[in-house]
Amino acid sequence: MSKATLDGKAIPLQDACREAARILGGATFPVIAGLGADVAGARAAILLAEQLRGAFDHLASREILADLDVMRSFSMFTTTPNEARVRADVLLFVGPGLSALWPGMLERLAPGQPPRHGAQAGHPRRVFWIGPEANEAANIPATVIPASCDELSELLAMLRARVGGRPVAGDDARRTGIDELADVLKNAHFGVVVWSASSGIDPLAIEMLQAMVADLNVTTRCTGVPIGARAGAAGVTQTAGWMTGFPPRTGFGRGYPEHDPWRFEAKRLVESGEADAALWISAYDGEAPPWSNNDLPLITLSPAGKEPGRGLYIEVGKPGVTHDAVEFAQEIGSLALRKSHAPTGAPSVAQIIDAIATELRGEVSC
Amino acid sequence: MKPFVFTLRQEPAHRVDLSGLAPDRISGRSAAEIEKIEIGTTKTVIRVGDVFRVDTGDPGVVRFEGGSSRFDLVGSRLLPDHSVHVVGDVGAQLGRLAKGGRITVTGSAGAYAASGNAGALIEIGGDVGSFLAAPLAGELGGMSGGRVIVRGNAGMRAGDRLRRGVIVIEGEAGENLGSRMIAGSVVALGAVKGRIGYLNRRGSIVLAKACDPGPTYIDCGSHNLTYAGLLARSLRSDSPRAAAVLLCKLRRYGGDTAVYGKGEILTPE
Repeated sequence: MSKATLDGKAIPLQDACREAARILGGATFPVIAGLGADVAGARAAILLAEQLRGAFDHLASREILADLDVMRSFSMFTTTPNEARVRADVLLFVGPGLSALWPGMLERLAPGQPPRHGAQAGHPRRVFWIGPEANEAANIPATVIPASCDELSELLAMLRARVGGRPVAGDDARRTGIDELADVLKNAHFGVVVWSASSGIDPLAIEMLQAMVADLNVTTRCTGVPIGARAGAAGVTQTAGWMTGFPPRTGFGRGYPEHDPWRFEAKRLVESGEADAALWISAYDGEAPPWSNNDLPLITLSPAGKEPGRGLYIEVGKPGVTHDAVEFAQEIGSLALRKSHAPTGAPSVAQIIDAIATELRGEVSC
Repeated sequence: MKPFVFTLRQEPAHRVDLSGLAPDRISGRSAAEIEKIEIGTTKTVIRVGDVFRVDTGDPGVVRFEGGSSRFDLVGSRLLPDHSVHVVGDVGAQLGRLAKGGRITVTGSAGAYAASGNAGALIEIGGDVGSFLAAPLAGELGGMSGGRVIVRGNAGMRAGDRLRRGVIVIEGEAGENLGSRMIAGSVVALGAVKGRIGYLNRRGSIVLAKACDPGPTYIDCGSHNLTYAGLLARSLRSDSPRAAAVLLCKLRRYGGDTAVYGKGEILTPE
């Protein structure tokens, strides 16, 4: 049984859905933000945004768009983790905290094992890591090039210059390690770079990395494995793509989808007063909204224990934990069904949004 | 002939799209017809008459008496020999895809000003937001011609993917000035933050203040460059301070060597 509260006081679920419909239906330009949901939840939320002629944004849009901006305005070589595991003779990890962002990374990519296919089969894998956290690369046979997060983009620029045989300035102490890595990448049969926009590297640094991959593909093979952002980001992005043609930060104000990463950023919409109501969804971890405006009519969908003190709250289950869910699975690079392992009967985001949408249409629900 | 004047009645509650008020779009229409043009971007209908009082005149010379940071796409697709003058602020995408003409804003402009500009002279009296002259999300090229003069400060990534034309920022520039430049020139007179010219291919970045261009720019020594003198002469009327910087002996850093190394950062000795 789901729990719903209004400013901290318990109310029946149906009343909560009706109140949510009243708030959202009465708004001129509501924003559906957070959007931390499985594919079904994202689908329902985007349909609701279209029905309301509002906008939608994901809580990890900055990270989503960092990768996507490179893909759509430059190019991006990617492969699946399994392909990297069986073919890569050189693995290059870029940035700190990758193994925390994807806990199964080292198990899936198996850097300690040799590749199985191609001319490189059976030869030991060369592993490099630029800028890992302390001890992060301790358990794998990796050559570490230390770098702070701020230095990463500079090192990637140096690396790309050296891969292309172009000069870099000064007698930088970091030159030796970068030169060795450039040499190894050029002589690799199948190099794979692994990065995550969530580790703090920005779109320009990702473009630098992918441009180096493109340069390498002139003479050999090299590709990438991106580690997706939190809260179902990759699955939500794909859902938004097939529904609207655009990723999150898309609005339906004029009745058709318009994408503008600046204009439809939920935080900006709320703080500028352009959005006059918000539906905040964070079904995975119950994150709080990033904006500072506390006067905005707010409806929160998050799991048990993450109830905000203010506004309307409806409890939802955790996708893939308390109910079955389709989401993007990092380990296979594809959408997958995750069976629940601790069912509670709490409704999914899709069920609650469908109930709100039914109330909006004036039909009887629940 | 007197100009075509839009006088602000009240600031709209939502962003409005003013691309429909380009000189060529209002030509030959009465004030009553123009007041009925819808400019809203949400389900609330907003018409020109709700926001402006319209006084017809020469559609080649449009004036906005009163601005707002919610006025998007002012002067978009402007044609040569036309002009738009705004007394006040404007929102995002000022002069978007302008073909030519002249746009002046006495206040500040929002994000993506001069995006896709192909020939207009755009002058912004105050500050400008992020992504000055940059491509919109998913586009491949930035500004492809014309000139942008910013008297105040610029936000991050000014001049991103610039293809041709000149940008002068008389105040400070935000992070990643001249990122991914393809060609063209950017002159910044104030302080510049963070990385400069990251992924720059063949563009010229002129900085009045000394900087650390990072390891992928190579010091090529100090020079009296003929090209800088020509650029100075062409900038003399629009920005005398920028012209003065270009007439100094300039230290040239060649880069970004991560790309081709055919671009440059120039700073006075």
